[in-house]
Amino acid sequence: MSATLDKGVRVLKEVIDAPIASYFNSCVHCGLCAEACLFYTETGDPKYTPIHKLEPLRRIYEQEYTLLGRLKKMAGLSKPVTDAELDEWQELVYNSCTLCARCSAVCPVGNDIVYMVRKFREGMSAAGHAPEGIKGAVNRTVSIGSPMGVKLPAVQAQMKHVEADTGLKIPLDAEGAEFMVMLSSMEIINFPEYLSAIARIMHQAGKTWTLCSTAFEATNAGIQIGNSDLARVIVSRIVEGAEKLKVKTVISPECGHAYTALRWEGANLIGRPFTFEVKHILEVLAEFQEKGLLKTEGFETDKLTFHDPCQLVRRGGVVQQPRKLLNQVAKNFVEMPDSGFMNWCCGGGGGASAIEEGEALRLEAFKRKKSQLESVKPDRLVTACANCRIVLEEGLEHYQMDIPVVGLTEMIAEHLPESRKPEGS
Amino acid sequence: MIKDDREFKSRLSALPVADQRLLAMQFVLRVFPLSNDMRLKNAIETSQRKGVTEAELASAFQIANTARVESFTRCGRETDWTAQAGHFVAKAAVACVRPADEGDNLAWDAAMSARMARTCETVATGEGTGNNEAEEQYRILEAFINN
Amino acid sequence: MNELQFLTWVRGPGLNIAVGIFLLGVLWRLFEIYSLGRKKDLSAPRQASGASGFHTIFRRSLPPPGMLKRSPVSYIGGYVFHIGLALIVFLFAPHILLIKNLIGVSWPALPSQFIDLMAVVTMAAMIVVLVDRINKPVKRYLSTFEDWFTWTVTFLPVLTGWMAVQHLLLPYTTMLALHILSVELLLVVLPFTKLFHVFTLFGSRWFNGQVNGHKGVPV
Repeated sequence: MSATLDKGVRVLKEVIDAPIASYFNSCVHCGLCAEACLFYTETGDPKYTPIHKLEPLRRIYEQEYTLLGRLKKMAGLSKPVTDAELDEWQELVYNSCTLCARCSAVCPVGNDIVYMVRKFREGMSAAGHAPEGIKGAVNRTVSIGSPMGVKLPAVQAQMKHVEADTGLKIPLDAEGAEFMVMLSSMEIINFPEYLSAIARIMHQAGKTWTLCSTAFEATNAGIQIGNSDLARVIVSRIVEGAEKLKVKTVISPECGHAYTALRWEGANLIGRPFTFEVKHILEVLAEFQEKGLLKTEGFETDKLTFHDPCQLVRRGGVVQQPRKLLNQVAKNFVEMPDSGFMNWCCGGGGGASAIEEGEALRLEAFKRKKSQLESVKPDRLVTACANCRIVLEEGLEHYQMDIPVVGLTEMIAEHLPESRKPEGS
Repeated sequence: MIKDDREFKSRLSALPVADQRLLAMQFVLRVFPLSNDMRLKNAIETSQRKGVTEAELASAFQIANTARVESFTRCGRETDWTAQAGHFVAKAAVACVRPADEGDNLAWDAAMSARMARTCETVATGEGTGNNEAEEQYRILEAFINN
Repeated sequence: MNELQFLTWVRGPGLNIAVGIFLLGVLWRLFEIYSLGRKKDLSAPRQASGASGFHTIFRRSLPPPGMLKRSPVSYIGGYVFHIGLALIVFLFAPHILLIKNLIGVSWPALPSQFIDLMAVVTMAAMIVVLVDRINKPVKRYLSTFEDWFTWTVTFLPVLTGWMAVQHLLLPYTTMLALHILSVELLLVVLPFTKLFHVFTLFGSRWFNGQVNGHKGVPV
């Protein structure tokens, strides 16, 4: 056993808990998890069956934590987990799994397969078997502060750009603000409209907010690769920033995994409850809506449909808010089939879109989203995750489907009264 | 003399679409060296041709959009700010050739994307956040109005 | 040993051994699994009605949206043979009598012709799911020796019991003894195979429902 394989196996032994043991012992090989996973349904290849992605972990569980398994091991009758096997499993655990959790939602015996994949990735990364693309993202996160290498100057450049666009000042390190707004690298790089939208909405709602110079990045590559130590580093930066600025609520941006990382895994990573609230931007907007602080004018009249980002809806619990918000600014919003918390993944989450060699598979898996869209035939597609947006645009471009993709927060901001005031003289 | 964005934006939006396309093209051409994707140049030049048809415009739009989607930085990949500048050039070109009704401020969108392209360039070269793309765009608009 | 001695053995020592292994095995395995414990979730919960561990224990018995048409045999075949087994085991007069002798409790039985029909339907359903396991790529891919073995070990009691009641093939005494032996085999292997899902599915569904309920998602 090489040094890293040893480390990996040790990590896998440590992550096994009662739920995982219960899940492995409940599995009856019914294969229904495959029927819920877009990587199987669009390729027909049974190796993408979700529970199968966990086979090495299952053997470790059996050999270490069951009496019969340990006896078999002593008698030399069990198959050890090898480096070659983990290498083979890399594609199954990373390229063909976006941590979308549809499998967990359908398993008849109740297995939370995504929970197990997340834990399995801890062992895979400790054993050195994570894809290069994600390893790079993690290294950049730790050394630079962002998985995509975004530093404060880039944020400041975007701030200036947005200040020019909106005529509003973007607060930085404003102590005592009610909201601390996080951004994901994707938004900083690709979608400056997001920050612009936030500025305008906050201005109208009369709320105080701020960016934090030491913690502007919400994306958590540690979660994606499966390295809790690194994930902790990233969350700690945010916690320190939020506590230093004494904010009431930290807002997670339109990035799916950032929300999962901060809202649900964050406190467990740092080992104590947060002293501030964490909300997704859509939760905040929905609250503004309820309190009458979100005044909009006009409606989109073309046919819109909504892609539910997996980490936000199925795994995040923010199900109704996007719909309530869309209905405030759109007259013709139509749900796609399987909408809501059973919606299908875009195919690019969980670090998958950082894996170059997985692109062909992702495009094949996109056929599922394609067929949903062919069924509902929208004029435009709305979503609330920067990565979903790009993955969707790429997929639509590949299949020559002419459906523009827009972000929900931006769409709402476009309907703020000052955006629609007749210009000039 | 146009002094700020408020005036710049309102002057642009008052112009007819055809004029906006002309100005948008000029904004794009200023930052075109940051991309050098000839598809974009062809697309925006198409939009300027006399008697260009709806179909030709739509085709130019398709091409520019493909260039835009191809040049996104993927989530988790290392950001190449120079390449990202190219993405914003494509985005500006898309604004230039997209289907538009009267009242659509496509020239403003092209201007903003062109500025983002310039910002990416200055981030890439480490020059910091300042650039005077906005002022240059004001000059272009002024020159157009004064003709 | 003649057929009467065989029957006496399976009814006596055989049953004691099997039930003993079953009870000890179940207790040991439940301990082995759930004593591993889990870390407390320190994130702030989201309140949502209808989303909890208990809700999922029941709700997960229903096919989630869109799943029934993707694999009707899994769901329908599965329901039929599980319900069939339960009806046969708990509502057949001789079984109720056995339970009464063991723990003193009894309840009304269903008519034996109905149980007879149930046995045939159950066996048919089990054969259908077996064929599906052989035909469907995913099921075939996942299946190991244990899947075929546990199917057999579950099928035999139904088959031999039905054959005994029908007085088929072998003299009643022998058939009955074989039936009891097959049940003893089932009891002995249950805690140590995938058949243990009978107990663990409650825990699994509960954990799953609780984690998702914490986030306000009713799964």
